[in-house]
Amino acid sequence: MTIPQPLDQPGRRADWWRAIWPAVLTFTLGIGLWEGVVGFFALPLYLLPAPSQILLTFLAQPGYLLSIGAVTFGNAFAGCVLGCGLGVLTAIICVRWPIIAEGLVPLAVAASAVPIIALSPLMSLWLGSISPASKIAVVAVMTFFPTLVSVYKGLISPRADALQLMHSYAAAQRAIFLKLRVPAALPFFFNALRVCTTLSMIGAVVAEFFGGPQNALGVYIKSQAGVLRTREAWSAILVACLYGLAFYVVVVLIERVVMPWNKHR
Amino acid sequence: MSIVPIIEFDRVSKIYPSGSGPITALHEVSLRIAAGEFIALIGPSGCGKTTLMRLIGDLEQPSAGTVRVKAKSPDQARRDRDYGIVFQSPVLYAWRTICKNVELPLELMGYPRQQRHERAMSLLRLVGLGDFSQAYPHQLSGGMQQRAAIARALSFAPSILLMDEPFGALDEITRERLQLELLSIWAESDPRPTVIFVTHSIPEAVFLADRVVVLSPRPGRVQRIIEVNLPRPRAFETREDPRFFTLLTEVRECLRAMEG
Ligand SMILES: Nc1ncnc2c1ncn2[C@@H]1O[C@H](COP(=O)(O)OP(=O)(O)OP(=O)(O)O)[C@@H](O)[C@H]1O
Ligand SMILES: [Mg+2]
Repeated sequence: MTIPQPLDQPGRRADWWRAIWPAVLTFTLGIGLWEGVVGFFALPLYLLPAPSQILLTFLAQPGYLLSIGAVTFGNAFAGCVLGCGLGVLTAIICVRWPIIAEGLVPLAVAASAVPIIALSPLMSLWLGSISPASKIAVVAVMTFFPTLVSVYKGLISPRADALQLMHSYAAAQRAIFLKLRVPAALPFFFNALRVCTTLSMIGAVVAEFFGGPQNALGVYIKSQAGVLRTREAWSAILVACLYGLAFYVVVVLIERVVMPWNKHR
Repeated sequence: MSIVPIIEFDRVSKIYPSGSGPITALHEVSLRIAAGEFIALIGPSGCGKTTLMRLIGDLEQPSAGTVRVKAKSPDQARRDRDYGIVFQSPVLYAWRTICKNVELPLELMGYPRQQRHERAMSLLRLVGLGDFSQAYPHQLSGGMQQRAAIARALSFAPSILLMDEPFGALDEITRERLQLELLSIWAESDPRPTVIFVTHSIPEAVFLADRVVVLSPRPGRVQRIIEVNLPRPRAFETREDPRFFTLLTEVRECLRAMEG
């Protein structure tokens, strides 16, 4: 006695294309416009190089740029893992002991709105400007607060009736946590993680503006821009974008595997 | 009734604290329900039907009086997994497939994987969702979700089913079909579960129940208990039985008398 109703089984490639084409179009138009403006006004190279010139500059030394990008990305990744990990852990503690949440969560919400990147010079002072520790610390602090806030919201998101259902089965606290709170928090966690991927790359690069080893993106961008080698600076920015984007895409892919029920939302 | 009641209310009152002073939801309700009975609870909105059901299910505590379930406290009965609850909304977990949702109570109760899967599948076929076991809740219509919720409540064969307007959000046709499905599942269960079925619909109450308990407006008291002596199994034709109409009128007048 079933009502025939198609389950979602769309042509996946067509679907994917439909989702992505507006972004592709906007991107192409934007790059075209940039190229056109630079050409039309004959802007000097030190002011704004055209995308094609940036690409050529990148292609002149892709190995070097990608390798210094890897150093910076390493810091971003380590900081992100540390910050998000501690954020998740703290959120769990907050749910377990609500009294802690009452003190901490409003602070975390406020801290998420503060440009923590401003801490960079201090971190350099405390942890050494060359060492990766100061960069990792900046990224960790930047990603900690949004993760804490999001995951905490997710963990307390189950409504009263969803909890009462568990109660009616006399479920243990552990089971309620693992089978209700954690899966309910996953979408919140991945939302935070996606934001944190971009945040962490920005954080790592900017932290390096305040000092770092020679072979790091931020240091390279700063030194090249300082001597008006704008193309070189831009090619390093391009590399930062590539790493940031790759990080983001990996997180989105993991998200799809971990939360198959969320696929068509 | 001479047999030992499975659910017994002894002068139970429930008072909720609230901003504008305490609200007496139930006042000295005494009620005895026998094992295997199908009870419909009806009454005007806000009269305490949900409260009464939740007192049985240990989701609320009485302010005065005692509730006994199988000669135990509701808390103990809950720990013994005596209750299958169907809320007004389906309350399916979005991250679980329909099959996994139905398996949830069995999982919590430690049944082996194979057994709970088979049990869930047979219940889903029973409620007509066999083809949708691998779908996620958001892929199902409201009525299908509610059927899944019923399958979940039945999955561990609880001795008491508490249903709070389970069909309240459904259209009339789906509703009548689900009523029949519920009755046939109930009749075929051995032993039959005791059902407490909260509803706003007079025909639904009369069609389903052995006894219709009519609650008065706030503070809720048992106004009347109407025996439904319609033969079982009930079918579509039951609704055309003259006795059915007589009972409808009886319940309706009881409800109307309280308004005046
Ligand atoms: N948690 C609560 N806190 C305060 N008051 C409550 C609470 N739950 C219910 N009440 C009050 O108790 C009374 C009975 O509520 P209840 O939900 O049991 O009514 P009901 O008969 O199920 O109503 P409906 O038919 O509208 O679902 C209502 O007046 C309501 O305002
Ligand atoms: Mg109610």
